Amino acid sequence: MLVEDLRNRGAVRRVTGLARSTPGRLTALALGLIAATLLVGALTVASVRDRSDAVVAVADRGEPLAHAAQEVYRAMADADATAASAFLSGGVESPGLRQRYEADVARAAAALSTASEVTRSPELVGPLATLSGQLPVYTGLVETARTHNRQGNPVGAAYLREASNLMRSALLPAAHDLYRVQTANVVRDLADAGSPPWPEGLLGAGLLAALVLAQRYLTRRTNRVFNVGLLAATAAVVVSLLWVLVASLVVVAHTSSGEDDAVLADVVAQARIAALKARGDEMLTLVARGNGGIYESAYKEASAELRGLVGSAPPLARAGVELDRWRDAHTAVREADDRGDFTQAVERALGAGAAAAAFDAVDANLTDALAQARSGLADRIARARGALTGAVPVVVLLALVAAVASTAGLWQRLKEYR
Amino acid sequence: MTARGVRWAVTAAVLAVVAAGCGAVPSAAPEIGGRSAVVPAPAGVVELTAPPSTAPGADASCDATASFRPDGPLPEPGRMPAGTTMARIRDKGRLVVGVDQNTYLMGFRNPFSGELEGFDVDMAREVARAIFGDPTRVQFKVLTSEERMPALEQGQVDVVVRTMTMNCERWQRVSFSTVYYQAGQRVLVPSSSDVTGIDALAGRKVCATKGSSSLANVANAPGKPIPVAVPNWTDCLVLLQQGQVDAISTDNTILAGFAAQDPYTKVVGAVFTAEPYGMAFPKQDQDFVRFANALLERLRADGTWAALHRRWLGDPPPPPVATYRD
Repeated sequence: MLVEDLRNRGAVRRVTGLARSTPGRLTALALGLIAATLLVGALTVASVRDRSDAVVAVADRGEPLAHAAQEVYRAMADADATAASAFLSGGVESPGLRQRYEADVARAAAALSTASEVTRSPELVGPLATLSGQLPVYTGLVETARTHNRQGNPVGAAYLREASNLMRSALLPAAHDLYRVQTANVVRDLADAGSPPWPEGLLGAGLLAALVLAQRYLTRRTNRVFNVGLLAATAAVVVSLLWVLVASLVVVAHTSSGEDDAVLADVVAQARIAALKARGDEMLTLVARGNGGIYESAYKEASAELRGLVGSAPPLARAGVELDRWRDAHTAVREADDRGDFTQAVERALGAGAAAAAFDAVDANLTDALAQARSGLADRIARARGALTGAVPVVVLLALVAAVASTAGLWQRLKEYR
Repeated sequence: MTARGVRWAVTAAVLAVVAAGCGAVPSAAPEIGGRSAVVPAPAGVVELTAPPSTAPGADASCDATASFRPDGPLPEPGRMPAGTTMARIRDKGRLVVGVDQNTYLMGFRNPFSGELEGFDVDMAREVARAIFGDPTRVQFKVLTSEERMPALEQGQVDVVVRTMTMNCERWQRVSFSTVYYQAGQRVLVPSSSDVTGIDALAGRKVCATKGSSSLANVANAPGKPIPVAVPNWTDCLVLLQQGQVDAISTDNTILAGFAAQDPYTKVVGAVFTAEPYGMAFPKQDQDFVRFANALLERLRADGTWAALHRRWLGDPPPPPVATYRD
């Protein structure tokens, strides 16, 4: 027992004595610098990774998903408006309208499967289940309506109303939820990617300060102004810090203008949906045949929203001109219908050069604007992604270089105490 | 390390391995939902728990079929006496008529042409012919059962010709012409059903439109069926075809229209109410009512009524007899 005690005490004295001697301090300094360099390197890598993950999330998941969700919404709303038009045109619907409806359903199903494949948000399970479960029910009702229409049974119109009710009360709200959540994800990921690089900067600056202090300590102890190893380590840390800061700032710049594009894309997408809603309501007002007061006020609401959205975004100026044309055409439709000339009202709503054409022009304009905003956003994200390429290997390599160089520099001094 | 230390270490290691093998982490994957299908329904369908307003059949405070007597023969078309409702309509250039577009054979939209057709629609056109000499000077305004009374009271329409039963409750708020069609309420069920009439529908769901006398009759039936209210008559057929109701109960004319659209249905039971149809006018337009009654006298006498009946509803019975309250 006693012997062991003495042995322990001797070991403690040896360690403290070593720590007080200059070679001991140099060794501790070397170990500390290695640890600090590697730790700062690792933390910087983690921070760059986070940023890069956020950019990748926007590029590979968030933005495509938001677009898919928007497509689901648009295709479904368009299918509903098209089905109402086909009903209004009388007789068996025209091949053009039928093709448009079929294309909408195909598009909605495809976009829905994309949205379901990549989504990971638990809050979307409900809306996705509603969408994939009720879309076949909707198409079933529309086909039943068609069959009855072909046989001349007025009950076909009732099936169409039931289908439209399902679309408006279940499918479109679910699509809207999907779209809102995905768009919020894009904005959140963009904000994450665009956070200012404070942690990287502070870590790098701290490490540089440690290296400078070590240099000053050596200068005082050894009377040599420069230590080549520590100088090399400092240079490596400076290069690494600058690399990371420049890359991060480039990402910040791109994501902040990307956010503008994302906001524009959101405005355009909402405008597109409002346009479709207004068109569907315009059709249903006529289908209801003098009993469409609620649809007409829904049209007014949707078209006021559309006008507000179009007015809020300068790139949509041309759509605004087409919108004026549509408003005039709609006024003409209502004038004919209110005068009691139903045939002319339908002609003005569906015929060439009428409300249908004005609506198609508005929709085409919005589609172009959306494509532009999306490609702007995609371009920004691609550039941001490019800026971060290589940052991780560079940081790792330079951290190792700095650790090796500072050790080598101190080893030179230590050798002098042998 | 002592032998005891080694033993402890081995024991700890074995325990750790066993613990690692025992751990169970369940899958986080969500259950597959969709165990029960969500059934689509027409907009505005309501299952009633209480009877709608008052029971029209119970109100026998008046002779509901008696209308105002015509004051002389019909004026020439286009030459309406000055200051009358008919002159005002002629000056407006069109007759605004509240009709239905969902009741096959009475008032419905022909899916091929997109035009409104039926017995009610043709009656309305006869009124336009009498005023303008032109049956096409009509603006149709589609109304649900529920919207008929408000539309008349607010002056949105000049006349309603829409399978509208004359009763004393409605006489308080609008004026009716003489009876132009005598209907009666029956029951429509799927052809596989064993239901024999309204009394056999206890506790089962029976569809009718909101604001119709049929709905009130269903709610007040002694068998206590469950009334289901919808906006339009064809919504009832959708519900029946989708198995969401057991029967539809309304006037035999409307049921005949359903049976014509769906061969897998049958009309059963006796006629259990009398439903006299009249054209409905705003309460104050008595001159117009007298005019319409003069027109109806002529249509009954000259065979037009019989021809219209044959066109839409089959071989005509003798036309309903007009009664007047002067």
